[in-house]
Amino acid sequence: MPEINFTIDPQTGEMEMKVEGVQGPQCADIAKIVTELLGVPEHEENTKEFYARPSVKPQVQNKKKV
Amino acid sequence: MSKYMAFPEVVFKDRDLLIGALEEIGCKDIRQGKDLEMGRYYSEQLEQKAEIVIPRGTIGNHYGDIGFARTESGDYRPVMDDLDRSRALSGQFIPKLRAAYNERVVAKVATKLRGTVHRTVEGGVVKIKVRY
Repeated sequence: MPEINFTIDPQTGEMEMKVEGVQGPQCADIAKIVTELLGVPEHEENTKEFYARPSVKPQVQNKKKV
Repeated sequence: MSKYMAFPEVVFKDRDLLIGALEEIGCKDIRQGKDLEMGRYYSEQLEQKAEIVIPRGTIGNHYGDIGFARTESGDYRPVMDDLDRSRALSGQFIPKLRAAYNERVVAKVATKLRGTVHRTVEGGVVKIKVRY
């Protein structure tokens, strides 16, 4: 299940966000929602999951010649 | 010297979330409008206009009003007297406001994603997990 972890430091009021469990650039959609409310982040880094692509097994069908 | 200063590094994009955060940190009297004039209590305080104004003396801001001016991009940026920066909410006005605003951002994100929220405080740091 995808999750977003937010950390807020009350001393500064600053917040960090980490998106987990979302492969590929889908997490950019989450970042967009947050950016609309917070503005452009000071620092942004893509995790390994961002570069991962969902694995799709090729389906092979045996066709019989009639 | 007393003078109004803007905080360009602090941005609040959503007006409703900002008002909610201001109320949460103790701002009971919040004036809203367009081009509201901030009070000039000292000669060094230049004319300032804002969309949201917290009147002088309400949360430890002894020297002037606290305003939120709207920028061309639609963001709200705080304007306050430089001497109030260390006095309003014992110098914690901006950090407390940012923290309260950010918590509201998380709640809104969770609602948009129809997610569940789990909030903890560890070592004074607020950790919020949103699962969707």
